[in-house]
Amino acid sequence: MEPIIEIRNLSKIYTAKERKGVFRGKKKKIEALKNINLDIYKGEIFGLLGPNGAGKTTLIKCLTTLLLPTEGTVRINGYDLIKDENSVRASIGCMLMGERGLYWKLTGKENLEFFAALYHVPRKIRKQRIKEIVELLNLEDIIERPVESYSSGQKMKLAFAKSLINKAPVIFLDEPTNTLDVYSARELRSIVKDLNKKGHTIVYTTHQMSEAEELCDRVAIIDRGEIIALGTINDLKNSIKKESVIKIEGIIKEETYNIIKNLKITKKAAISSSNGFSKLTIVTENARRALPEIIKILLENDSTIQYISPEEITLEDVFIAKTGRSLSQDTRVI
Amino acid sequence: MTEFTLRSNLDAMYTVFLARVRILSRYRGWFLMDIILPIFLAAMPILLGRAVAGTSMEGNFLKNVGTANYVAYMVIGANLFMVVSNSLWHFGFWLRNEMQMGTLESLYLAPVNKIIILGGVAMYTTLRSLISFFLAFTLGCFIFRVNPFQGDIGIAFLFLLVGLIPVYGLSFLYGSLVLKLKEAEALINIGQWVIGFLMGIFFPVTVFPRILRFIAEIFPPTWMNNGVRSALLGLNYFLGEWYLDLAVLWAFCIIMPLAGYYVFISIEKSIKKNEGVGKF
Repeated sequence: MEPIIEIRNLSKIYTAKERKGVFRGKKKKIEALKNINLDIYKGEIFGLLGPNGAGKTTLIKCLTTLLLPTEGTVRINGYDLIKDENSVRASIGCMLMGERGLYWKLTGKENLEFFAALYHVPRKIRKQRIKEIVELLNLEDIIERPVESYSSGQKMKLAFAKSLINKAPVIFLDEPTNTLDVYSARELRSIVKDLNKKGHTIVYTTHQMSEAEELCDRVAIIDRGEIIALGTINDLKNSIKKESVIKIEGIIKEETYNIIKNLKITKKAAISSSNGFSKLTIVTENARRALPEIIKILLENDSTIQYISPEEITLEDVFIAKTGRSLSQDTRVI
Repeated sequence: MTEFTLRSNLDAMYTVFLARVRILSRYRGWFLMDIILPIFLAAMPILLGRAVAGTSMEGNFLKNVGTANYVAYMVIGANLFMVVSNSLWHFGFWLRNEMQMGTLESLYLAPVNKIIILGGVAMYTTLRSLISFFLAFTLGCFIFRVNPFQGDIGIAFLFLLVGLIPVYGLSFLYGSLVLKLKEAEALINIGQWVIGFLMGIFFPVTVFPRILRFIAEIFPPTWMNNGVRSALLGLNYFLGEWYLDLAVLWAFCIIMPLAGYYVFISIEKSIKKNEGVGKF
């Protein structure tokens, strides 16, 4: 297959200021991307997964010309990212900032007309192009209204519409279903699949593993600026198939988690808690054999178990197996 | 595949201009403020002069400035100050607003040269400044009983138009600072009064001490202000003839936009190397 995006040795280092009190600050170098090598092929839906602060957005910003890479080369649709900046921009459609990035005082239609002109869509086909997009996304009822009167979900839809305005061969979608209700999210995923069938290459970032599993042909899992896993969903799951996973939900103390984490039978473990309720994932060699010992420890340490099950491997489990952390944990360095 | 033609670039520039006009039409108070402010600005020194100098004001003004028509002098100065002020700060304000709205990243994602977007914004600022200048000047003349059709209107208009070009150069410099410092208000609070002082909105810069006069004379709006006043009120041009003063403004027209654009592009590059234009 022919790569439409070729990334070679891409690194990004930037300086951030660490604040210490009102006046004091210290400059700190952040290595946001470390030697990324990746090919994304024409016609695929490619997922970029990783926790907050992993480097997904930095990678997308580099690929979309918003940030200059510190080192490395990128070619998109045959154009060099640095030398042919405008040709790269013309080759991509982007939805990066969610509902931001729109003029709230203008109507939805005025926004689309504005961006169509900036993307050099000829006047004679502009109206028809906007009409098609409006119909595709069912925006007819709101398109003549100022964006400020839209709901969050409607703004997200319009931002998605904006990314389609130049019919680009590559479309970058950064968490496009955030703030959408279940029905609209399903609708958007279905449109993404249709666009892909029409030949568009989609680069899709998401936190929702189920979304990635539903949509993506291949995924890359990024953590601390590095690609730690790359392949089809099945490849990644098979890579830890010799291991198995136990999921436990309930009230679990930190000390209990530490005891389980340090057991011989535990290969990796991760916990995420909110409002005193915890979700514990344990990667082990044999879930059924490890289960009695884990239950014993939980009961001895006054844990309340609401749900416990050895489960089918998910992409989240792949991440835990590779890093020992849950995807919901923030890995931001600053 | 996208075709980058002269027509599509001009169309993009016009669209940026049109979007600004549409947004202005949804904030009508802005335009009203543009017309009313210069009248208040001119009224203060006019009324202060009348209170302090009484009937001898015209004589004193004639002796020191070269015209007895101090009212027209103040009205022109205040209006030109508003034109310069709007043109100079608008670009920075626009940039800051785009940063905060998140639309700046959208503009950077589009395959269009920045000069096209800046051109569209400059077109809008010019139109807004000129319309508000003429309306405010006419209204000011009516309120203060000044004849708006005196002097050489054609030459005054030429000074006004040519004088705006270097102001855009300065506005790119200001925009660069906003891009770097992510701050617009504090810079304006300081700069507004420095500009009013240097371009001599209420007095001729010839009354400045030598060093200060030199600083005022390397500031393009000073030449525009003096040119418009001299053409309308029959005062002396800095270099004796109108076309010599205009030639100096033309020189600024080449230097300032180039310098402003160069600094803007350099700062933009350094920002893209670091945190990117999206941070605000």
